[in-house]
Amino acid sequence: MPESLLKVEHLTVDYAVGAGTFRALNDVSLELAPGRVVGVVGETGCGKSTLGHSIPRLLPEPPAKVKTGKIIFQGTDLMRLPKWRMPGVRGTGIGMIFQEPINSLNPAYRVGDQIAESVRIRKLREHGLTPRVKPDVKGFDYSKRELPKAADVVTGPFIPPNVSQTLKTRSPPMTKEIHAEVLDFLRLVRINDPERITNLFPHELSGGMRQRIMIAMALSGKPALLIADEPTSALDVTIQAQVLTLMKELMEEVRTSILFISHDLGVIAEMADDVGVMYAGHMVEFGPVAEIFESPRHPYTKALLRSIPNKYKDEGVLPSLSGSVPNLSKLPDGCTFNPRCPLARDVCRKKPEPPLATLPPGPLGQVHKSACFFPEEVPTMP
Amino acid sequence: MATATVPATKVPAAPGSAVPARRRGRVGANVLLVLRILAANPLTLAGFIVVVIVSVAALLIAIVPAVSLLILGHSVSVLPYPALDAGAFLPGQAPSAAHLFGTDASGADVFSNVATALPTDLGIGFSVAGISLIIGTLLGLVAGFWDAPGSLSGLASTSIMRITDIFLSFPTLVLALAITAAWGRGEIQSELAVIVTWWPFYVRLTRGEVLSIKVQPYVIAARAAGVSESRILFRHVVRNLLEPLAVYFSLDVGTVIVTYSTISYVGVGVPPSIPEWGNLMYSYQDSLLTQPWTVLSVTAAIFITVLGFSLLGDGLRDILDPRSRRILASTAVAGTGGERP
Repeated sequence: MPESLLKVEHLTVDYAVGAGTFRALNDVSLELAPGRVVGVVGETGCGKSTLGHSIPRLLPEPPAKVKTGKIIFQGTDLMRLPKWRMPGVRGTGIGMIFQEPINSLNPAYRVGDQIAESVRIRKLREHGLTPRVKPDVKGFDYSKRELPKAADVVTGPFIPPNVSQTLKTRSPPMTKEIHAEVLDFLRLVRINDPERITNLFPHELSGGMRQRIMIAMALSGKPALLIADEPTSALDVTIQAQVLTLMKELMEEVRTSILFISHDLGVIAEMADDVGVMYAGHMVEFGPVAEIFESPRHPYTKALLRSIPNKYKDEGVLPSLSGSVPNLSKLPDGCTFNPRCPLARDVCRKKPEPPLATLPPGPLGQVHKSACFFPEEVPTMP
Repeated sequence: MATATVPATKVPAAPGSAVPARRRGRVGANVLLVLRILAANPLTLAGFIVVVIVSVAALLIAIVPAVSLLILGHSVSVLPYPALDAGAFLPGQAPSAAHLFGTDASGADVFSNVATALPTDLGIGFSVAGISLIIGTLLGLVAGFWDAPGSLSGLASTSIMRITDIFLSFPTLVLALAITAAWGRGEIQSELAVIVTWWPFYVRLTRGEVLSIKVQPYVIAARAAGVSESRILFRHVVRNLLEPLAVYFSLDVGTVIVTYSTISYVGVGVPPSIPEWGNLMYSYQDSLLTQPWTVLSVTAAIFITVLGFSLLGDGLRDILDPRSRRILASTAVAGTGGERP
């Protein structure tokens, strides 16, 4: 396995609500190799989005509080960086696509200007004109199909901004260059008449168009890692299919590493190389998509997979999992999943679930990890 | 770019598309849009016209004498007669062609008095509301944007808000009167007194708006794109503050004029030698029944000015908000499809 681009280790995040706190993420670990697409799947409220937002440290603090854990991006622990250096990581290091394309664009600016802002941020960093970024940072060359070097955007020394140079980049030739790039990125996300679109306000675009703009905006920073937080959940089904097709094509062209967060197993199966299944703030299973879908080794994953409707045969009532996601402030004793688990027994009700443990190779010959006391019993689960 | 296969062809300008807007330049297109919105909203248009006339008139009245003194060597006024010129005419004349608003009990021309007071009152309205806007908005931005509890900035934010609360808990007019009485009569003193009571409203308004804007997904998205915090504040947050602030400011200019006139009326504002609507009202109150045109003229001047700013304020939101702007403009030119794609 090549050197990992992103390594999340034992991340625990609490939310303070009123007088109490609840644990949105509990000891979550994750690894993402360059060029891979890692999916994160789970029900509403299982901590997927918290995970996605905590990596570029976008969680609102307070109420959120990262208790423990490391987020190692390109060899640097982001948790140990001072807050004011984080903007140097975002955009060019870690890009993000959000769930609500409706509100993720500033209603007061034309979309062209908003993409231009992110292009300009990258240009300034590429030229070493903004502080917090090492001057020799290479942008991710999207035309060459090679993976980015673990560009060290964060550990570089503090370089004071070169004001005269910075001003120069705002002068007309640079603006023209930026405008040309904006049009390029709009074409990249299959927008037909980018000249016209750049002049429109977000409210004049449809949801699908806005999500394309958001994707263009995230890609225009040429990030080494792209976090897609349920990019299609707020769209209707046909537009969802279009955006997914687009993202799939872009993955071929751009070959950036993606952390793909979704509640839709079908989408994950199509997009991701690896998948992590989350339940109530825990990562319960992690491994290659094919292996996990073929032989899940956690009862929750198995139950999730069984509840996908099959369009080719009529199965009658879909099997569903009894009970519901526990209240995060009142988690059950023992393994978090035990009240809903058909395999639960005494040890599950007393001891908290085990950490993710590597299992012997499954039917497809790949290894994956599960956080269950009895992973070998899952295939025979009733 | 690997995929930039689509050549950058000029899209033929479909009717109503934004392409002609680009050619005309954004400023030109925006001016056109504003004019269309004004044309579609008669009340806003009325307010706009009043504000423009009043402002231009105030500028002429204030500037022409000074400039003519500089160029011609003697002062030329745009007004027919000098203000507060007691004994110039027969006292107590009813309005006529020679004296539009008649003459008062001292024999001065009422129209000239009221008009000479216009630059003073309008200037006070703009400066008091403007300075309060600047002070209040800056404090409100700080208090709203950096309000994380437990930090140094959070402490600053809390302090600003508690001080604001203290000021807000006084009745504005009473506090302003007390301060002016303490500082002594005079234009600057009384203006400062009103400003002291005025800025907290802007802090409240700004902070509330900032608190709601800064958690909007587009602010998070900008942060995720690597935009620095200060740029987020001044580009993304402030731009979305402009609409409520401009609306409030426009309404506020009128309120300040009324408040300041009240302070002058009770005798702690500008000295009686300076024509000001509150002062005039005070000196005319005895002739309310015998020469009603005197009081009515001053009242009408205040009423029309304040109403103009209020009407404009109500319509400003539509003009400043890009979401309603094009829709309004397209309904204004019904049948052409407007600016919507």
